[in-house]
Amino acid sequence: MPVLELRHVTKRFGGLTAVDDVTFGVEEGELLGIAGPNGSGKSTLFNVVTGIPFGASSGEILFDGKPITRMVSHRIARLGLARTFQKDAEYPDLTAKETIALAAIYGRGLNRRAAAEAAETQLEAAGIGCARAGMLTTALSVYERKQLMIASALVMQPKVLMLDEPASGLTRPEIAALNAHLVKINKGGVTILLIEHVLSLLLSLAERLIVLNQGAVLAEGDPQEVIRDERVIEAYLGGRSA
Amino acid sequence: MDWKLAAGLGVLLILPFFVTDSYTRHLFILAFVYAILASNWDLSLGYAGLFNFGHIAFFATGVYTAAIAAKTLGVSPMLTIPLGGATAALTALIVAAPVARLKGIYVVLVTFAFSQVLLQLILSQSHITGGAEGMVRIPALQIGDYKFIRDFKFGYYYVALGLLVLSTFYLLWLTRSPFGKSLLALRDNEEYAGARGISIMRARVLALVASAIFPGMAGSFFAIYLRVASPEVLGFGTLSLVLSMVLIGGIATITGPIFAAFAIFFATETLAGTRGMEEFRFIIVAVAMILVLRFAPGGLARILQVFQFKKNRVL
Repeated sequence: MPVLELRHVTKRFGGLTAVDDVTFGVEEGELLGIAGPNGSGKSTLFNVVTGIPFGASSGEILFDGKPITRMVSHRIARLGLARTFQKDAEYPDLTAKETIALAAIYGRGLNRRAAAEAAETQLEAAGIGCARAGMLTTALSVYERKQLMIASALVMQPKVLMLDEPASGLTRPEIAALNAHLVKINKGGVTILLIEHVLSLLLSLAERLIVLNQGAVLAEGDPQEVIRDERVIEAYLGGRSA
Repeated sequence: MDWKLAAGLGVLLILPFFVTDSYTRHLFILAFVYAILASNWDLSLGYAGLFNFGHIAFFATGVYTAAIAAKTLGVSPMLTIPLGGATAALTALIVAAPVARLKGIYVVLVTFAFSQVLLQLILSQSHITGGAEGMVRIPALQIGDYKFIRDFKFGYYYVALGLLVLSTFYLLWLTRSPFGKSLLALRDNEEYAGARGISIMRARVLALVASAIFPGMAGSFFAIYLRVASPEVLGFGTLSLVLSMVLIGGIATITGPIFAAFAIFFATETLAGTRGMEEFRFIIVAVAMILVLRFAPGGLARILQVFQFKKNRVL
């Protein structure tokens, strides 16, 4: 049984269909890549699944066999479906440690002491040292902020982690470090859905790739085969490349 | 405890032994009430980011709870203080139901409309509330033979100070707790906070209720201290004065609005007693608010923090 299943999910904004009749499932432990040109509906799909800030117009979403289509975002998170955001998501008045501890308290139900310990463990795994743990999130580097967002998701011990362009704005060495970190997380048993424009990262990680175009699934399957699909090339380049 | 807070509290504790005239003590008592109102408004406005313009309604709820309970129902005036806190919390719960789902200007509209509904309710139910004329001769605070008005309001001074101290510790404890941090998280990034398990609606409802308890208690104290309950407390003048204390003091600081409440209250009272300045005092407060918002949006508390930071760096 897929851990996450989307059945004919559609999201409309007035006359615009941002997600169009999308159906797919994600198996437990899988690392599924999601690609598509800008505006193809990738982030909207994540928004619809996690209920942030809106749910689906129609269709059904099942997580661990339970329907979550009409569920509010914090309940979905507490069930074990965590996500990160494409833009920098941070709390300017909180420190790195407080950011993670807060997720441990509200997302996992830990008490303050246990949350602080869990935050320290995650900070260490994310490579954010003790000296920087007490700094405001705005004082961290782009890479540290990306890692912090992932760490604050992982502290909730999610079954599924949905990552929205975690490599954007990172340097090559940082992307390599992120790659290794994601492999470790996935090997730890966390199912990952990864939206990424950095194709090298996506192809090295994804076991299966879904390409969206104009809100609908254009192609799905083995990543190496999918990127050679003529329809995918046309969607990205507007025609066959030379 | 912060040494500055401890020093301020120490000064206020011994002040009545040096300031013995009734009028100055009266001003301090009112300043304590305004400080409670401003600092608790900071919880919903500064921390939760809710543009709650119904905050004065919580205070008015306390005022009329004390007036009706003590005068009409014969409840001990001392008991009306916690009772005012309870009814104000209940009022907040009612207004929170629609507000929890709204954002920005809609929160302003609903909460302001709510305070106007409360005003109309007070005016229309004159057989209970006294209508536009309000209620007078509300029983005063008394324990046994001791009347709190005696010795130039010595007892009232310490009850008001006690309320302010309790309120301040409560707010500092709350804002430093995970709940306080979750309010900051929601205020700054609602989507991220929701994705980390924080319930937006629950946090907003709790923030409004938590910010209403001490204003309700202060309202009850205000009524039994002045022995009057008037619908004027719901006027725009009170609302704008308290709001200026929050903004000039610095939002999301708690102590900033307390200091600003003292500064603004005593400044306006001094100007009120200065020939030719009576009509200008509120204009001066309004100009001060505009200047602070323009040049130091963090308010007095942030200015002091920056000053402290620079001083530390030099050292």
